[in-house]
Formats: sequence, structure tokens, C-alpha cells
Amino acid sequence: MDFDDDYYSGGEEEDQMLYTDDDTDAEDFDFIDNASDSSELALSNRHHVRNYTVLSESDIRQRQEDDITKISTVLSISKVAASILLRHYNWNVGKIHDEWFADEEKVRSTVGLLENPVMEYKDASEATCGICFDTYPSGEMLDAGCGHPFCSSCWAGYVSIAINDGPGCLLLRCPDPSCCAAVGQDMINLLASGEEKEKYCGYFTRSYIEDNRKTKWCPAPGCDYAVDFCGGRGGGGGYDVTCHCSCSFCWNCTEEAHRPVDCDTVAKWILKNCAESENMNWILANSKPCPKCKRPIEKNQGCMHMTCTPPCKYEFCWLCLGPWTDHGQTTGGFYACNRYEEAKADKEFQEAEQQREIIKNSLERYYHYYERWATNQSSRQKALADLQQMQTVHLEKLSDLQCQPESQLKFITEAWLQIVECRRVLKWTYAYGYYLPEEEKAKREFFEYLQGEAEAALERLHQCAEKELEVYLNVKDPETDFNCFRTKLSGLTSVTKTFFENLVKALENGLSDVNAHAASN
Amino acid sequence: MATFQAGLLLQKQLKDLYKNPVDGFSAGLLNEDNVFEWRVTIIGPPDTLYDGGFFNAVMLFPTNYPLSPPVVRFVSEMWHPNVYPDGRVCISILHPPGDDPNGYELASERWSPVHTVESIVLSIISMLSSPNDESPANVEAAKMWREQRDEFRKRVSRCVRKSQEMS
Repeated sequence: MDFDDDYYSGGEEEDQMLYTDDDTDAEDFDFIDNASDSSELALSNRHHVRNYTVLSESDIRQRQEDDITKISTVLSISKVAASILLRHYNWNVGKIHDEWFADEEKVRSTVGLLENPVMEYKDASEATCGICFDTYPSGEMLDAGCGHPFCSSCWAGYVSIAINDGPGCLLLRCPDPSCCAAVGQDMINLLASGEEKEKYCGYFTRSYIEDNRKTKWCPAPGCDYAVDFCGGRGGGGGYDVTCHCSCSFCWNCTEEAHRPVDCDTVAKWILKNCAESENMNWILANSKPCPKCKRPIEKNQGCMHMTCTPPCKYEFCWLCLGPWTDHGQTTGGFYACNRYEEAKADKEFQEAEQQREIIKNSLERYYHYYERWATNQSSRQKALADLQQMQTVHLEKLSDLQCQPESQLKFITEAWLQIVECRRVLKWTYAYGYYLPEEEKAKREFFEYLQGEAEAALERLHQCAEKELEVYLNVKDPETDFNCFRTKLSGLTSVTKTFFENLVKALENGLSDVNAHAASN
Repeated sequence: MATFQAGLLLQKQLKDLYKNPVDGFSAGLLNEDNVFEWRVTIIGPPDTLYDGGFFNAVMLFPTNYPLSPPVVRFVSEMWHPNVYPDGRVCISILHPPGDDPNGYELASERWSPVHTVESIVLSIISMLSSPNDESPANVEAAKMWREQRDEFRKRVSRCVRKSQEMS
């Protein structure tokens, strides 16, 4: 999806500005911090209790450390062994407790934590490496706790290959195929190079998020945060989460946030969009429209004399798209398309044609919704850019010009945040509208009414925040008082908010009010 | 592990095999100067369809052997679900470590540096006696093995006869 890419890559910098964390540059960006507080409020006020936590890399490491300590204390095993267990059980502490205390032997053998070595070589003075078959003093040999001795250079090669192969190295076992002994982090630290150790640690951290059903990475490119979701399915508020990088996404399907529309509809819609655009691309690249009925035609035979399929049956020349009557000798014309002539603009065939309409209609319905969906998408991107411009440049200017402290200008940021959020909701209501069955007349009408009201309110708000504000950025003493503007914009913000809340509520109920209403009539 | 060590290790295995030949196959170098290219003759295991055949194969070792597995290819005509039409042998212990990132194959079934020429050839012999038609390299052979066992038997005995004529 091109849109997403554009949005995220374009949005990254500004977003970081918006949501500067308290610990970075707190003094320089005081007002931005305020803004970030209010923005979090504005964007997430619908979650009365936040049902998710955003985790930074250090949070993740801390949680891993906590889990490892917990397991190692409760089971009285080493930390290395504890982390092998945790990885094996996808970081599910409860499950480890249950299974370990039910059957420790079994857990040990599946995970590869041997209590006693299966063979002894340390007593002998020399041992043979199972890989290179060279003999070394026993003291120089290493094993994974199982007693299969290999020399350190063979071990290093084995470990290095495994780490460079990917995250599978976290479950590395003794090189002996019959042996299940796990190779722990202590061995890795002893044998791997600095770069390899770093890679291993990276995989280790990732495994906490990727193996855990309750955590996911933020899908924004370049974002290192993860989100731990603790809300239930029906907990209200849906799956929408907002990462510290300001990317809002649906935790369930990791598409962008799409409340009030459900994940299935979004998936269908996105698939439809790619399918349609590919169709269009192919048609544009491989066909020419019939000059008369405008249906796309693919040329699959040699000669230039084209005859459109019935009922059109128009005969024309593929090269110049002119009527064949001008080309064929039988009709008094002559073939002259080898000559360079200025393309004849034929206005006569531009009349609307029945045939063309039929084909267009099905597409037209889709394009109606797609266009509105896409326009709101780009409008939202523009609003995000404007919001950033507002926070970095305009607010300061406005504060000087209108003699207002910046803390008194918060209402402008709030208005813009409301616009950004409303554009997002509005966008998805068009996907909803496309899939709302034509037959459900009452529902459609109700939906279109709510959507219309909300859209109109949003347009008023957007207009006011965009155009009317401009005056105060350029003139010191405008005709209308700045305080009037404040009242108007704040009013519009709250009105729009209400309209959208109603819209979201109604769609999430599946427009069930309609039935109740119909019944009472 | 350096090329030098890989060469030494292969040299050592060659010497061992000369001294203590193993039943069922014979091994040597394709060319005396290159220890990384081996020629093995596998005797069709008794009481199988391949009984009586002398199948020639080459083993090409990578310079980082034993960290990566060799490629084994039959040069004699071969008809078997786990042998590609071009003769390459497809058994899990010969899969390079990176081929199975999701860990579907058990660790014990995958390549490990402890494998030697001997253990590889013994795996191939066991493959001949019990084909695995679940992940076939030669789909046609696998289908024939499953659905037209007689046809399969004929096809294999033709390979066996051919291999006898050649040697």
C-alpha cells in the first residue's frame, strides 16, 4: 500500500517532534510536551482505561530479566537454564511452572537441560573432537552439558554458522544428532565473535515479542517499540493502539487504526484496492479504448483493421483509431497510417454511449467510495503536516502577534488533532459504506445521514482551522477579536467530536438503532 | 574452519575408509589431487528393489566442510522419490542449515558437523530401502511409487540392469 508507506516515511520526523518523550530535550520543547500530553488524551480518550502498554527495547530487556530471575529462583536452576526454558516455552512463565512441577524429567529432556552428562571424558587426559577427529587435552574440550566433546575451534564454527543462519540459533543443540542438549548463552558468549554475540542478543530480545501472543512490534518502519496488549476482545475500545512513535495501528491485524470498521472489512477493502488498481494498470498498459464505445480492447491479431465486438461493431484502425471507412479501398478510402499525421481529434464519438455506461457502472460505485476513502487519507496526511507546522512555527508566531501566551493556544493543537483523527474515521466509513448492502435501505439512509452530518461538521472545522486562522498569522489587529476566533474554533472542535463519536458508536453497533426505530414506528 | 582443516579432515576419512572399508559401498577420490571431490559406488541394498545395482555417485564438499554439508549426486541413472531427476540426492541431513529457518525438521534430522562420508552414505543406503514419499524430490517417481508399484519396480530394475552393464 503506497499510502501507508508515504504516510509513515513522511510522518516519522514530525511524529517524533510531536511526541517527544519527557526525558529527551524536555526543556527546549516544553510546549511540545504539553501538546503531547493533550494529544495522547485526544487520540486515546476513547480508551477510558488504556488496555495496552508500549514497550521500549530496555523495557523488553527488563521484562526478560525479571522473567529469567523469577524462573531461576522458583525452579532453583541457573539463569542460563532459565532463559533456555523461557525461550522454549515462548516466555510463558505460568506454563513452565505447571509443566516443570508436573514432570520435571520430561521438561528437561524436551528442552535439552540434562541433569547429568550422558558420557564422561574429563577423567581421561585426552579426548577426540567429534567433528575434526583431532585429539586434544580434555581440559581444552567443551560440551553442552551432555559430555560430547568438541574442540573450541569446531564449536566456534558451529556456533557462528548457526547465528548467521537466523533466530534458529536460539534453540541450538549439541552437534551430535542423537543428543538434545541445548546450547546456552554462556557457551555463545564464550565462543562467538563480538558481532555474532550482538546478533544473538538481538534475536533473544526479538523472541520475547515475537513468540509471545500478547505482544507485537509496532509496524511503522524503523520503529523499535513493541505493544503489549492486555485488553480482551470485547473490552470496548477495540484493538486500536498508538505507539510512542505516534503510529496508530490495529493491534489485531496490524493495519493502520481503522475504528469503527472491523478487521475483516479492512482486509477485504485493502485487497480490493490492490486488485482494482492492478486491473486498471493492466488495462491501461495493454489496451486501447474503442473510439466509439470506449470499452478497452486488447489487440490479439495481426492486422490493423479492428472490429469492436457486438453490439458496437465499430470498425476502426488500431493505429490512428480513425474509422476504417477512411482506410479501406472498398469504401473509397486509402491506407495512410504509415504517414505521420497529426492525430485527428474526433469529437463525434465522444457522445455518451449506452454500452460504455453498463461497464462503467459497477466500477463507478467502487470508485465513488475509493475516491472518498483516498481523499480523506491524503487530507489526513496534509492535516498531520499542518499540525506539525503549527507546533514548530506558527504557534510561536501567533503568540507574538496576538500577544497570547502559548499555553493559551492549546485549543489550536487540539483542533488539529481532532481533524487528524476525524479524517481517519471518515476514511474508514467509506470502506464501511461500500460493503453496506444496497438492500438495507433504512440502514443505508441512517448511515449516510450520520456520515453526512459528521463530514459537514468536519469540513467546517477544517476550514476554520486552515483558512480563518491564517488571518491572525498575518495581521496584528484583525477585524474580529482573537477571542472570538478561539470561541468559534473550540466550539467547532467539540461539536465535531460529538458528531464523530455518534458515528463511531452507531457503526460499532452495526447501525442497530435503525431496527429499533423501525419497530417503534 | 579453514579450507586447510577441511582438507585434512577429508584426507583422514579417506584413509580410514581405505583401511576399514564399510559394507555396502566403496569410496575414493574423483581425481587424486582434489580431496573435495569424491566418487562413491553404492551397492543396492539386498532385499530391496535396488538389490544388485552398482550406483555411482559423486560427493562435492564445500570448503567449509564440515560446517556445511556436501552435495551428493548420482551419476548412474536413478529412479527414486528422493532423488531429483538430475541425480541430486535430497535427504534432510544434507540440507544446509539455513534451509529450515522455522525448525520443522528435528535437529537430529538435519545437517550436523559430526556427519562423515560414512554416515552420509549409510543414510543414502537407508533412503534406498525406505523411500519417503511425503516430500519428494522427484514427484513423478513418488506418484508411481504410491500408485503404480509394479511400474515403479520395472523402472528401477531397468536402472539396476543399466548400472550393472556400466560397471
